[in-house]
Amino acid sequence: MSAGDVRVDWRALREAVRDTGLRAWPLTRAVLAGTVALGSAVGLSAVAAWLIAKAAQMPSPADVALAATIVRTFGVSRGLFRYLERLASHDAALRGVVTLRERVYDRLAGSGARTVMGLRRGDIVARMGGDLDAVGDVVVRALIPLGVAVTVSAISIAIVAVLLPLAGVVLAACLLAAGLVPAVLTLRSARIAAVEGTKARAEVTAAALSAMDGATEHRVWGTSSAAARALRDADADAEHAHELAARPAAWAVGAQSLFSGIALVALVGLGVLAVRAGDLEGPLAAIVALLPLAAFEAVGAVPTAVMQLFRSATAAHRLRSLTPAEGEATADATPASSPSTSPATLELRDLRAAWPGMTPTRPVTATVPPGGVLAIVGRSGIGKTTLLTTIAGALEPAGGAALLGGAVVTPAHTGHAIAMTAEDAHVFGTTVLENLRVARGSVTEDEAWDVLELVGLAPWVRSLPAGLDTELGADGRSVSGGERRRLLLARTALAPAPVLLVDEPAEHLDAAGALALRALVSRVRGEGRTVVLVTHDLALLDIADQVVSLDG
Amino acid sequence: MRPLDPRLVRRIGPARRHIIVTAGLGFLTALLILVQALLIARLLAPVLSPTPLTDDGLRWWGGVVPESARTLATGLTALAVIVALRTALTWLQERLAHRAGVQVVSQLREMVVAHVATLGPRWAAGGRTADIATLVTRGLDDLLPYFVRYLPQLALAVTVTPVMMVVVLGLDWLSAVIVIATLPLVPVFMVLVGLLTQERSARHLEAMQRLGTRTLDLIEGLPTLKALGRERGPAARVRELGDAQRRATMGSLRIAFLSGMVLELLTTLAVAIVAVTMGFRLIAGDIGIETALAVLVLAPEVYLPVRNVGTHFHASADGLAAADAAFTLLDESDPTHVRASLGEAPDPRGRELRVDGLSVATPDGARLAPAALSFTAAPGAITVLRGPNGEGKSTALLALTGLLAPDEGTVAVGDTPVLRDDAAVALDGWLAHVAWVPQRPDLGPAGRTLSLGQRQRRALSRAFDSGRAIVLLDEPTSHLDRESRAEVIAAIRSLADSGATVVVATHEPEVVAAADAMVEVTGALTSTVEPANTGEDAS
Repeated sequence: MSAGDVRVDWRALREAVRDTGLRAWPLTRAVLAGTVALGSAVGLSAVAAWLIAKAAQMPSPADVALAATIVRTFGVSRGLFRYLERLASHDAALRGVVTLRERVYDRLAGSGARTVMGLRRGDIVARMGGDLDAVGDVVVRALIPLGVAVTVSAISIAIVAVLLPLAGVVLAACLLAAGLVPAVLTLRSARIAAVEGTKARAEVTAAALSAMDGATEHRVWGTSSAAARALRDADADAEHAHELAARPAAWAVGAQSLFSGIALVALVGLGVLAVRAGDLEGPLAAIVALLPLAAFEAVGAVPTAVMQLFRSATAAHRLRSLTPAEGEATADATPASSPSTSPATLELRDLRAAWPGMTPTRPVTATVPPGGVLAIVGRSGIGKTTLLTTIAGALEPAGGAALLGGAVVTPAHTGHAIAMTAEDAHVFGTTVLENLRVARGSVTEDEAWDVLELVGLAPWVRSLPAGLDTELGADGRSVSGGERRRLLLARTALAPAPVLLVDEPAEHLDAAGALALRALVSRVRGEGRTVVLVTHDLALLDIADQVVSLDG
Repeated sequence: MRPLDPRLVRRIGPARRHIIVTAGLGFLTALLILVQALLIARLLAPVLSPTPLTDDGLRWWGGVVPESARTLATGLTALAVIVALRTALTWLQERLAHRAGVQVVSQLREMVVAHVATLGPRWAAGGRTADIATLVTRGLDDLLPYFVRYLPQLALAVTVTPVMMVVVLGLDWLSAVIVIATLPLVPVFMVLVGLLTQERSARHLEAMQRLGTRTLDLIEGLPTLKALGRERGPAARVRELGDAQRRATMGSLRIAFLSGMVLELLTTLAVAIVAVTMGFRLIAGDIGIETALAVLVLAPEVYLPVRNVGTHFHASADGLAAADAAFTLLDESDPTHVRASLGEAPDPRGRELRVDGLSVATPDGARLAPAALSFTAAPGAITVLRGPNGEGKSTALLALTGLLAPDEGTVAVGDTPVLRDDAAVALDGWLAHVAWVPQRPDLGPAGRTLSLGQRQRRALSRAFDSGRAIVLLDEPTSHLDRESRAEVIAAIRSLADSGATVVVATHEPEVVAAADAMVEVTGALTSTVEPANTGEDAS
C-alpha cells in the first residue's frame, strides 16, 4: 500500500467539529488573543527598528518617547496575551469535547443493540476517550494557530505594503509559500507515518506480546532468542518508517527556512534601495528590512497544525465508524413502538449464533414457557455468550430464529422484554445502591436489602463503610470476583423484564455464588418469569427444566 | 520531574552520537544566525546613519563580517549564502533528528520485553502483559520528543546562549549586562512559580483524572445498560461530569500556563528594554547605529534556546512517565530465580513421572488450584487430568515444566526429585526433555495471523515431532473439527506407544476415552487447606 492510498476523512472531522457545538465567539476570542500576542512580537520588532533608526538621527528624546513606551508595552503584552490565548483556546476546546462526548454517548445509546453490544469487543472504549480528546485538540493545536497565522501574516503584509508596496508583494508571496508548501509536505509525512508507522507499530505490538505471553513456550522450545530477534526486526521496521516520514517533514521545515530567508534578503535589499532612491525615510525602511525576522513565527506553526488536523481527522473517522450517522441509523435503531413486556413463551427454532466472521454455533431448538428455566452448556469458546446475545435480540441470528410470544425477537426487545446480564457486565464506579438501580431506577432501599439478602450479599454490604451508599471503585475494582458475580445477580433479579438471560462465568462461581444463583432462579420463576442460563457448573443443572448442549 | 533522568542518560549509548549531531547542527545554525545578524547591521547601517560611518560598529567581530559587506552587492550575496546554508542545515537537522530517539526507544522496549519474559508464568498470570505492550509501544514512543527535541535544546541552551552573550558583550557591554541580569531570572521565576503551584496543580490533576475515568466508566458500561434497557439515563451525567472535568482542567491550566507566561514575559520584556535603552543611548551618541542594529537583531536569539527548553520539556512529560514505569518494571524480579539447585536434570526416558502433593496458589491467593495433587504418569501411557475449569489442570502442567514453582509438593522422575517449592534441577537440561502445548499456543508474530485451529495443529505437530520424553498437552483438541480431533488423538496414542510419557489436561470425552490413566484435579480454598498443612508441619 502506498502512502497516497490513505484518504483523509475531512468530512468526518468537519462533522465532529460541528458536533462540538463550538460557537464563533469563543474561537474568535482565542484567535484575537493569539493575534495580539504574536502581533506584539511583530510590533515590537517593527517599532524597535523604527526607534533605533530614528534615534540614530539624534532627535530630541521626546520624539522617541512614545515609541519607547510602545516597545515596552509590546514587551509585556506578548506574554500576557499568549497566556490569555492559551486559556481561551483550551476552554473552548474543553467545552467542545464535553458537548461532543454527550452527543456521541447519546448517539451510541440511541443506536441499535447490535452497535452497542459490539462495544464490548476490543479496546474500542479505551480508544474512544483518546479520540474524543483528539477532536478537541484540533481547536487548540490547529484551528486557532492557523487562524492566528492568517491574521498576523496579514498584519505584517499590511505594514510593509503601506510603506513599500513591492516589498509587501514579496513578503506576501513568501509568507504564502512558507505556509502552503510545508502544509502539503507535512500532510505527505503524516500519511507515510499513518501507513508505514501504523503497520510497523502493529508488528512491534505483536512481537512484544508474543515474546511476553509466549515466554513460557519460548523457554520450553528454546525459541526465546528467536522471539527477541522478531521484536528487533519489528523495531527495525519501525525505525525505517520513522526514516521515511522524516523525509517530507525535513523538506517542510527546510522550505520554511528558505522562504523566510528569501523574504529577508529581498526586503533588506528593497529597503536599502528605497532609502537610496529617496522613496522612503530611513526609520521606515528599517521597519521593512527587519520585519521578516518576526513575521514568519506565525506560519512556523503550520506543520504542527497540519499534523494535528490529520490526527484529528483519523480520530473523527474512527468515532464516526463507531456510531451510525444520523439518517443511516434506521436499520439498527430502536423502533418507537416497544414490544409487549407481559410474560410470553420463548421459542428457539434451529437458532444458530455467530459474530460476523465466526463459525456459527450448532442449531438450538427449545420452547420455554413463562416461569421455565433453560440451561445452555458447552465448553469455553463454543459460543454460549454469543447465543445468549442473539436470544436477547442484540445480534442477528446466523440461522433459525428466536421468538417471544410468537414474534421474532428484534433489537427492540433487548433490555425491555429480554434483559441480559453478561459474564463481563459492568460494575459502575458509583454506590452499591446506584449499581442496583442500573436495573430499574425506582429500586428502593428496602428492595435493595431484600435482593442482597437473597444473593447472600447483605452481610458484606453491611460491613462496608457506608453500607448501600459505599462507592465501589471504578469498574468495581475493590469488589472481589465472587462478590461482583452476586452483585450482578442481584441486579438481574431487579430488572423488570419477563425474560432474564444470565451468563455465568467459569471461574469465581464459589459455593456462595451457586447458592445465590439457585435462590435467584427460584424467586424469578416464582414470579412467572423465564430464565435462560449459561453455565459451566454441571451441578447446577438440576434447577433447569431443560438443558441444551452446544458441544458437537 | 527532573530535567535529566540519570537512568535514561545512562541508556543513551549509541544514540549519544545522534544527539550530538542534532545539537551540533543546531549550534552551527546558531552561528549562522549570528553572522546573519552582523550582516544585516552592516547592510542597513550606511543608509540609516545620518553621517557617513567612520569607525567599525561591530568592533571585535568586524573580522567575522568585514566592512566590505556594507555595499549592497557584497552584503546581499553574503546574506543569500547564509540563508542557503541555514536552509540546508535546518533540512539536515530535521532529516536526522528522529534518529536520536528511535534507537533508545527500541532498546528500552526490547529490554523491558526481555525482562518480562524472564518473570515467569506466575507473573504473566497477573494479566498485565496487554498493559505492558501498550506501555512499550505507545508509551515509550512518547519519549521521542525528549531525545529528539528536548535534549538537543538543552545542549544548545548551555552552548549557544554563552556564545551569544559573549558576542553581545563584545558589541555593547551595557546591553550584555541587561541580558546577563535577566537570563538567570528565567529559571529562578519558573522554579518559583512551579513550587508555588505544584500542590494546587497536583490536586487539580487528580480531580481531572478521576472525572475522566468516570465518564469513560459510563461509556464502558453502555452495553450493560443496553442489556437492561437503561441506556438513556446517564447522558445528563456524562454532561455533568464533563463540565466538572472542564472546570478542574481549567483550574490546573490557569496555574500550569503561568510558568510559560513568566518565561515569555521575561524574555520579551528584556529584549524591549535592550532596544529602548539603546535608543536613548543612540540619541546621546554613546553607541553607533551599526552596533545597535546588531544587538537588536541578536538579543532575541540569546533567549531562544532557553525558551525552547521550556517548551519541549512539557512535551516530554508523558514519555518520561512511561520511562519511569519501564524502569520500575525492570526492577521487578522473578522469585523462581532464587530457587536452590537440585543438580543436573535426570533423563526421564522410560521412567515414571511422580507428582506428590502438588499445590499452587491462584494469583489472588484465595484458592489452591490444584490442591494437593498426587499421581504417577507411566512412560508409554496417556495420563488424563480431568476436572472442572479453574481447578488447576493447566497450572499442574505448567508446574511440571519447572517454570512455575509450586507452593507445596514435589515432582520426581523415579526416585530422583526434579522440583520442590524451594528447589529445582538445572531447568535448561530438564526442559530439553519436556514438550508442552498450552491452550492458545504462541508461534511468534507470524503465528498470530493463523486461525486458532491452525495454530493448535502446528503447535501439536511440533510437540509430536520433538522426540522429547515427557509431553504435556493442554486441551489439545479444542478449536479443532471432529476429523482433526480423531487424527490428533491417534497421534497422541502412537506417541505414547513409542514410549513417551504423555500427560493431557482435557474434558473432551473422546480424549478421555483414549486415556490409560485418569486423574481428578481439584482445587480448594486456601483457608480450608491451611489447617491441614499446619498439622503436617507440626508432626
